[in-house]
Amino acid sequence: MPSAAFTRWQNDRTPRLNEVDAHCAAVLALVPANPTFLDETLRGFVLHLSAHFQGFCRDLYTECSQIWIAAIPAGFQATAQAQFFAQLALEKGNPSHDDIKRDFSRFGFLLNLPAAHPAGTQQLTDLGHLNDWRNKAAHQGTQPLGGGVPAALTLPIVQGWKASCDGLATSLDGIMRVEMLRIMGVAPW
Amino acid sequence: MTTQNFVEPLKDGTAVKILNSGYSRAWIAEYRGPLGPKGARIYRVLVEKKPRRVYIEVREDQLEVLNDA
Repeated sequence: MPSAAFTRWQNDRTPRLNEVDAHCAAVLALVPANPTFLDETLRGFVLHLSAHFQGFCRDLYTECSQIWIAAIPAGFQATAQAQFFAQLALEKGNPSHDDIKRDFSRFGFLLNLPAAHPAGTQQLTDLGHLNDWRNKAAHQGTQPLGGGVPAALTLPIVQGWKASCDGLATSLDGIMRVEMLRIMGVAPW
Repeated sequence: MTTQNFVEPLKDGTAVKILNSGYSRAWIAEYRGPLGPKGARIYRVLVEKKPRRVYIEVREDQLEVLNDA
């Protein structure tokens, strides 16, 4: 049984992203082709994908922290909630590997996403590229991104990033289940 | 004061007290969903407006609605 955050990722966030994916495919199939509209549409897909992955990470962080907090005395709970929520990187920043690690490290372990799946390293590279393009699209960046980041968006590239986000969401859900079980002594969900 | 176990999630802007806390008055900023233990409703709550906005996330059963808002 997955977390509520992962259930929402699968049953609400992913279908919404699939709709955007289908819209991009329809724009790609336009005759005559409209490359300007396709570029705008793909940039929209990037923004939606980054936002939903960030939302999933925030949901999972909230779910885990609230489960932990409910197990401590009532008089300590608001204090713990203030600590868990203070300076949360995922509250405002992109869902980067660094920010995910920083926030989830508050549970007292070192998050190792690359080791969680054989494709973990590639998934994190894709996440980095997604975030670079997210920022370029959101801030109307004009400079080339470099560093191996695709110079132009294509539908297969963004679909690949979506698959990587799905893999990372699966890994993070599994890791947190194990860690919460270790911390609490009972399965969290 | 209003009792707990609300039928519908509390609306944004509702004035509340967070039980067992040092916050005397706070405001619902966002319903985050059933993310708490056993599906408990979780809210993002504004606990301080100035000099900068401060939020925390709490369960619904920790909240008491203030009717004097």
